[in-house]
Amino acid sequence: MPNRRQVLAVGGAGVAALVGPSLVLAGTVAEIGMQGTSRGEHVWFTPVGLAVAAGTTLRFVNLDPGNSHTSTCYHPSLFDRPQRIPTGAAPWDSDFLLPGDSFEVLLTVPGVYDFYCLPHEHAGMVGRIVVGRPGDEGWHGAATEASDLPAVALDGFPSVEAILQTGRVMPPGRP
Amino acid sequence: MFLNLSAATLGIALMIAVPGLAHAESVPEDAPPPAPYAKVSELVPLPDFLPGLGTLFVDPATLPAGPFLGYDRDGKLAATIFMTPIEDLQGGTSYNDLAVGSNEVSSVDIYYNAGHPGVDKPHAHFVLFHGADAKSRVAE
Repeated sequence: MPNRRQVLAVGGAGVAALVGPSLVLAGTVAEIGMQGTSRGEHVWFTPVGLAVAAGTTLRFVNLDPGNSHTSTCYHPSLFDRPQRIPTGAAPWDSDFLLPGDSFEVLLTVPGVYDFYCLPHEHAGMVGRIVVGRPGDEGWHGAATEASDLPAVALDGFPSVEAILQTGRVMPPGRP
Repeated sequence: MFLNLSAATLGIALMIAVPGLAHAESVPEDAPPPAPYAKVSELVPLPDFLPGLGTLFVDPATLPAGPFLGYDRDGKLAATIFMTPIEDLQGGTSYNDLAVGSNEVSSVDIYYNAGHPGVDKPHAHFVLFHGADAKSRVAE
């Protein structure tokens, strides 16, 4: 099956910065997998939380042989959802990715980006990317309003502190 | 032949053949089934073949419950699948008199599914296998 590869530059000018030993470096590509159990009882992004430097390209890959997934950020322009990405960053939606398909997005604006899988938000399939660190110019912290997000989604976001401390947070119970 | 089974009698019907419930419609053993059945992967963004279920066909008018007809990689009917949203069941919705693709039901698997295009809500899969080797034929 041919892979679908799309690249979307998110945001304006970014500053490449190395801000921690486990941070994904600017100019590199970091991968986030979309996975599920064989019968689809559980679905998740792995890692569920990731720290990267501004200028990093995120590649979402559907590793689930029996399901399709999306990477969709929370933004009013996409399905009228609340904004949970930095102001000035362009929203992205991968559309449905079949098994083996991938989607790339370039993140340049510092801050916290929350995203979800369109058909699996109610199953808690969400993720969080932290670009840069608090204090960076233009930094936009995590959204604090629950808005219309289901509880299972809100519970699925790792804390910014945990992401920055370890560089990546794996989903609970997953290696 | 199609069979109509009420939810209340499903358990009994799964253990015995019930030719008396035969429906006027028929489902061919070989894919594709006739209209109004349509290939699920052509209706929603899902793979052609789903491990554990096979290549699925459904009459869109019967969504979300189905029946979905699952064919193996050789195009032979292997399973009938029903998908019932948990939220709907909790709300009092019942799914009665659902049809099945064959009167030979060798085993049934029931399990939770978090959702997928076509049936987005978390739901239960009821998989009726048609033949002792049917499960292995759609395993992967």
